[in-house]
Amino acid sequence: MQPFNNQAVTKFSTQLISRLLLPQVATATLELIINKALALNNNKSLSFSAVAQKTLTLELAELPFTLCFTVNTTPNQTVVIVRSSTECSDCTINTSISTLNKLKANQSLTQLIKQDELDVIGDIKIAQQFANIAQSLEIDWQTELAKHLGDVPTHKLLQFGNKITKSLAATGKQVEADIGEYLVHEKRLVVTSSQLNAFNQKTKDVANKVNSLSARIDKLVANIANK
Amino acid sequence: MSSTDQNSPASDLSAPLNKPSDADTSADNESTTHFGYKTIEKDDKISMVAGVFHSVAKQYDVMNDLMSFGIHRLWKRFTIDASGVRPGNKVLDLAGGTGDLTAKFSQLVGREGKVVLADINSSMLNVGRDKLRDKGLVQNIEYVQANAEYLPFEENTFDIVTIAFGLRNVTDKDKALRSIYSVLKPGGRLLVLEFSKPENELLNKAYDFYSFNILPKMGELVAKDGASYQYLAESIRMHPDQETLKGMMENAGFEQTSFKNLTGGVVALHKGYKF
Repeated sequence: MQPFNNQAVTKFSTQLISRLLLPQVATATLELIINKALALNNNKSLSFSAVAQKTLTLELAELPFTLCFTVNTTPNQTVVIVRSSTECSDCTINTSISTLNKLKANQSLTQLIKQDELDVIGDIKIAQQFANIAQSLEIDWQTELAKHLGDVPTHKLLQFGNKITKSLAATGKQVEADIGEYLVHEKRLVVTSSQLNAFNQKTKDVANKVNSLSARIDKLVANIANK
Repeated sequence: MSSTDQNSPASDLSAPLNKPSDADTSADNESTTHFGYKTIEKDDKISMVAGVFHSVAKQYDVMNDLMSFGIHRLWKRFTIDASGVRPGNKVLDLAGGTGDLTAKFSQLVGREGKVVLADINSSMLNVGRDKLRDKGLVQNIEYVQANAEYLPFEENTFDIVTIAFGLRNVTDKDKALRSIYSVLKPGGRLLVLEFSKPENELLNKAYDFYSFNILPKMGELVAKDGASYQYLAESIRMHPDQETLKGMMENAGFEQTSFKNLTGGVVALHKGYKF
């Protein structure tokens, strides 16, 4: 019954997502963000010719639909079109969001493939070119924000943002240190669950023996009394 | 002629709107057709529909956003996703109006491909052309003023034909479907995005109330033309329902036909292949 229920739940959730047109909402939002970012790019030497009319498909374990990115270049502009399905992809990457974060942290692509965390179908160069473009984007957020908010509020906002970032980084480091301390020193001293179970079992055994001994003594006392 | 009697909105809200009875709808013959709830001579429909679209062309996009709360953009996105379009494809966006689908197709087929934006109405075509040129989309788009019943293209020309919110305005839908079938390449596909019959009766009633009471008032307020939006609501009710349209596509020769209801069946996307 369990697998059937899981299948039914998956089917129902997929149908619901499709009915609410969530894939289309997600792709429209992504497309808007990506193209806004491209419009703000200051790196004029960035070339899109290698990925023109190429499609990169991402199949993420966390998403019930795929994300397909196609680049269209004209002499005037470059745009990325995001779709939730395609019949023609130059490169398809099957992975999860956590693995994508590992990729950002420069963990080797081949290492992740070997660990079965990443599956690439098609031309891997396309994926690398897409990644290179994403990393080469230069956006001056301060100038862009200042256009909308004004110079002084932008400066204050970024100052506040830097403070928060530093504070979060310090908290992160502290948490990391505490976890390290726990793993290296404290964890050795802490009783493990198997040890606790063994202790409980031994305690129960002793209690049983005491009970049986007590019963035997009672019996002997009764025998003596009868004699 | 296709039957439209399954499309009857069983709603008290639409009762005063004088939708033709089943007997009236089945009385469709060789020389008459429907213009909303009115039965008219076939020869008059083109000019009457043209009048509607000449009138609303300039406010068409604004009204679409208002009427559908922007959801028409998601329906069109769904159509693009379902089209399976590839770089180098030739696409015909029939009744393409202000070019929403053409814009996306143009970017997806690239320089090697081509998109033809066709519409019977010159005002809609002009608005579409101006909009797409303003977006910088010029390199692979052609504009053709054409009647869907007599497409002026060679046989086996297009990989994909789409008709979004246009088929219900065509006088002879069967003829248009046969004409589309003819211009599609073998292996090509037709996608029909059109208003349809909501699956749920409660939604149906709410939709009727909205269509006949709110929509014409919005049209009056924004486009200064309530009558055209009254026609819109009526023409949606007179359009064949999901199964009927699927049958019509099969009669025209399409294979592997299917449809997908969107927003509870308010709109349906029909798909069929030519092999």
